[in-house]
Parts: sequence; structure tokens; C-alpha cells
Amino acid sequence: MTARPAPVFFETAGLAAAFDFPEAAFRGLVARRYEKFPAAAAPFYRFSALSIPGSQAPFRPAVREERGILRLKRGDFDCVLDLKTGSGVLKAALRVQTFDSFLRSFYSWALLREGGMLLHSAGLLKGGKACLFLGKSGAGKSTLSKLAAFVPHPSSLIPHPSPGAEVISDELNLVRFEKGRFVVYGSPFWGEMRNEGRQGVWPLAKVFILKKAKRNKISAAVPGEALRLLLRCLMNFSKSTETSAAALDNAAALLAGAEFARLEFTNKDAGFLNLI
Amino acid sequence: MAPKIRENLAFRRVAGELFIVDAAASRLHELNGPAALIWEGLAAGKSEPRIISELLAEFEVSEKEARSDLREFLGELSKSGLIL
Repeated sequence: MTARPAPVFFETAGLAAAFDFPEAAFRGLVARRYEKFPAAAAPFYRFSALSIPGSQAPFRPAVREERGILRLKRGDFDCVLDLKTGSGVLKAALRVQTFDSFLRSFYSWALLREGGMLLHSAGLLKGGKACLFLGKSGAGKSTLSKLAAFVPHPSSLIPHPSPGAEVISDELNLVRFEKGRFVVYGSPFWGEMRNEGRQGVWPLAKVFILKKAKRNKISAAVPGEALRLLLRCLMNFSKSTETSAAALDNAAALLAGAEFARLEFTNKDAGFLNLI
Repeated sequence: MAPKIRENLAFRRVAGELFIVDAAASRLHELNGPAALIWEGLAAGKSEPRIISELLAEFEVSEKEARSDLREFLGELSKSGLIL
């Protein structure tokens, strides 16, 4: 008789999940990738995870919630979750990228339910507080993150000083409202920098609307512009009215409860860190 | 009788503007001023004469202008598929 492998426990944004893998290869892949995000709390969500063949097409996941059942489906994963019991089945292609996409889809849905959100943004930690820099693809999230972390270009011969700010994520950050304030959680979801991230929770100091420019400058944010960008940067694959309403409500709450500003930054150096 | 707002739309007034999320079409609409007032009137099930009287009370327009603005805006909403 073979002993059943222990589940992989995962947690971020205070939401813990356990994954049972009958296949050792799948388990090993996920356990290694998310080893810095172990669950501290008892997981409410528990998934049986099986590998299936599959390509990424369709690339955009479909998220549906009907009669207490959540379904998340893409070309390379298919998950059915009973929301009453927290138990579900995940069938996914045996690839880290696929599992990561599933987690992103699932946590984007779960965070909206909890009054939070998964935001396309760069997140920096400075002086124990988190700053978020909103932007879709090409806005400069990775550029700004690399500058902040002083990641040198491979061909650079210039010595670099120690990092001025820790990057929480250069791509996706997890925000929740807790004890009367917004907080940012450590993110396992990364873009170009391909870091693994680390667990943590930090008060949100400021949210910046990001713009590439010739010089660094901070100016006031217009509420309408900020909300528009927030809604565009907020990850949500569900087409249900309830989830759209939650996205609007949570974004409006963030706009009312956090400080917003516009940051124009140059890609020459990390001088913008002195302005934030 | 005023037209009805389509189902499955989420909308909220934030910082003076009215934002409408049409998740099925992945579109975000923004309304302000008279347009926002008209939308909220439709959402509350108010009649066209009632919406016109609210436009007259809130904005400096003649009844003729208010009626014409309402007709024009309802046409735009219909083209965007936001009302039935």
C-alpha cells in the first residue's frame, strides 16, 4: 500500500487553500513553486487536483457562479468548487504557468467577495508600507519595479547600490480592507521579474497612477480618472452582475479610503523613490 | 412610459460621476450631469415627464431643450444596448 502524499497548503491574502495531488510530479511542481506561501490558517478551500492535457486556448478564463457552484474554466484548466463545503476538483495541465493562472483566476474571484481585489499593478514596500502603481500592459510596472530594486541590465558594468525598496510584485498585487484600513498582501504572482515573492501584510500608503515621462513628477489624481483605471486594472473574469457590482463597490471604497496621486517617472534611475 | 434599463448591468455614482459596468460586453460607461440624472431616473422607474421635471429643477434648460436632450440620450443608450 502506498501512503497518500500530504496536501500542499497555500495561503495568500489571508485565504488558505489545500490541494490534494494523487500525482507526485504535479505535487512536486506546485509545492516547489509556492513554498514561500504556506498556509498558517486551516484552509476553507480544498481541491483535488488532477493533471489533464490541454492548451491555453481559450486564453481568457470563464468564471461562473450558479446555485452555490463556482466554475473556472480555461483551455488548460477546469475547476468546479462547491461554495457551501469549500471542496472542489481542479483538472489542470501539468505546468506551473497553468496552475499559476488558475490561482490568479480563483483569488481574483475570492478577493472580490471579501471586499478586496487583485490589481494589475507594481507593488513596492518602503518604510514598512506598501505603495501600488496602477497600470495595464506597457504602463511601466516592470520598468519601475526593476528600477526600484536596482536590477541591473545584463550588459551593465555599472555597480549598483543596495535596493531602496522591496518589490512586492511587478504584476499583480492583493488588496484587502482589514481593521478599518486597506492592506497589501505578499504576492506570488509576478510578471517579467519572475520572482517567487514572499508572504507578508503591509498597510497601504498610497496608490499611484503610473505614466512614463522624461522626468519624475507627482501631481494630484482626478477621482474619475483614478476609478476608471482602477476598474481596468482590477482582475475580474466573471460576467455576473453581482461580481461587477462588487468590483465597483470595492474600487469605490479603495478610492474613498486610500490616497491617490499621479506619478510620472523616467526610466533613467530610481529617483522617483524620493517622491513617493 | 420610460424605457427600462437592461438587466445584468452594475452601476454606482462615485465622485460625482456615474459608472456603469457592462460585464457581458466588457465595457465601462461613464455618465455625468444630466445624463447621470436621467440614468438614475430610469433606474428608479420614473416616467419621462418626471425625469424632465427633475432636469428642469436641476439644470438651467428650457422644457423644450430638456425634452430634446432626453430623447437624444435615450437614443444613445439604446444604440449602446443599455436600455430595452
